[in-house]
Amino acid sequence: MSDQAAPHQGFASRYRNVLLGLLAVAIFFAAWQAVFLFVPFNPLFISKPTLILQALVSLLVSGDLLHDLAISAVPFVYGFSSAAVVGVALGIVMGWRPRVGYTLDPIMIMFYASPLVALAPLVIVFFGVGVSGKTIIIFLLSIFPFIFNAQAGVHAVDRLLINVVRSLGGSERDLYLKVIVPSVLPYIVAGARIAVGRGLIGVLVGEFFAASEGIGYAIARFGDLFALDKMFACILCIMIIAVALTEGIRLAERVAFPWRVGQ
Amino acid sequence: MPGYIQGRNVNLTFRPPNRGPVRALSNFDIDINEGEFLSIVGPSGCGKSTFLNVLLGLVKPDSGDLQIQGKPIVGPGTDRAMVFQEFGLLPWRSVQDNVELGLELKGMARDARRKVSQPLIEMIGLAGFEGHFPHELSGGMKQRVGLARALATDPHVLLMDEPFAALDAQTRDLMQVELLRVWQEARKTVLFVTHQIDEAIYLSDRVMVMTKRPGRAKTIFPINLPRPRDYEMRTTPEFNELKLEIWNSLKDEITV
Ligand SMILES: Nc1ncnc2c1ncn2[C@@H]1O[C@H](COP(=O)(O)OP(=O)(O)O)[C@@H](O)[C@H]1O
Ligand SMILES: [Mg+2]
Repeated sequence: MSDQAAPHQGFASRYRNVLLGLLAVAIFFAAWQAVFLFVPFNPLFISKPTLILQALVSLLVSGDLLHDLAISAVPFVYGFSSAAVVGVALGIVMGWRPRVGYTLDPIMIMFYASPLVALAPLVIVFFGVGVSGKTIIIFLLSIFPFIFNAQAGVHAVDRLLINVVRSLGGSERDLYLKVIVPSVLPYIVAGARIAVGRGLIGVLVGEFFAASEGIGYAIARFGDLFALDKMFACILCIMIIAVALTEGIRLAERVAFPWRVGQ
Repeated sequence: MPGYIQGRNVNLTFRPPNRGPVRALSNFDIDINEGEFLSIVGPSGCGKSTFLNVLLGLVKPDSGDLQIQGKPIVGPGTDRAMVFQEFGLLPWRSVQDNVELGLELKGMARDARRKVSQPLIEMIGLAGFEGHFPHELSGGMKQRVGLARALATDPHVLLMDEPFAALDAQTRDLMQVELLRVWQEARKTVLFVTHQIDEAIYLSDRVMVMTKRPGRAKTIFPINLPRPRDYEMRTTPEFNELKLEIWNSLKDEITV
């Protein structure tokens, strides 16, 4: 898990690297726009960046976008945070207690590997189109990175540190609190970055199937109405949120775990 | 007081799940005096670390009798503490919090912990580094923290498993001098495992040579060199004579 830049890199060159990345993004959108200088443009099948930007502005001004985002945020926060709590607890116990691990590994892997999205209609049938149904879909999609990363983190716990705490009279609870949880935390954060993407998929899927509000619903409806500029505007918005969340977690990680910088 | 630590017929066989059993200690006998500095040398894999872990209470022997002050060892206890070769500092804890770990586990309050840790941190020469994290320290500094942590709970017995092996030669020499100073002040009983015969002689009251695995005590050499000892002592004929004797005893156990 070493994704930090080489330590000798100067500020200027790091700045340059960011610019290079942004340049690629700019070229992508410019190319998208430029294609229609040569290809006939049909707004029923495709959109282009200038129109998407206009649509984004109008959706923001009218307040529709923020309303839909606010609607979708509720099940996301519920589903994601409960997935974090349950997933981390389960992963730690599965990692630390081999019997629990052996028992639960196959079923967890089965669920993780299978396209859970396919269960979404069933969940909606059982729990309805409201917050609870969406929460459960988001929970199901985002829990596994927490479980597996927490488990991997426990397996990577330094046995020496366990012996240190034991030898100084530490109890089982001390082992959890003073060694296992702190060494697993960075793994959990890495898991959270993956879970964010899956959780956002959960939002969209839940609202694609059945909803009357929310960002996923908006995307589906604009698609049905052939309002592709607005549809892409919503997709762009989701992308920005996904990037902001994952990068935000990365930054928080740097601040929260300073000791990892030197490892 | 002879027999402060007493081991009789200690046997231990590891039974790893997917390999054959490994007999690590066989009829191991040992007597250690109170306040004594005893070094253990022996071939790699002969069971030195295993014995320290048994004394620490982390590993249970299969059979035999092992006592400290007449009390059998049933598990870890605050009368013993270990200094580990790889330091074993918790990377997410500052120097101060690492030194205070054992006190915290005993449930001591913050202020009381501080009163114990502060003089120790000064003693190991890390005043001003209280808030540093292990990754910001050199190997020698880390092992000083390891030593301070072990001393913080004020154990009677200090177990040291090749504590200076990961350090460069110069740092190692300085750490030896410091350890002797600490030992003379605090008067702990020290069991010190090392690969270096020089180090063993320089530090110890007695040096025990172990046989190859399964490990037993082979010969014990009393080191009757005057204390306090200084660096120059290593060049005296007495020192070199001891070194040769110990080496002769040890080399028969080493297979390459
Ligand atoms: N937990 C363990 N499981 C299996 N074998 C072990 C274990 N710990 C040590 N051993 C084996 O026991 C023998 C003694 O090990 P150790 O006490 O670490 O030797 P050393 O004298 O080098 O410190 C070695 O052969 C080692 O491989
Ligand atoms: Mg060893």
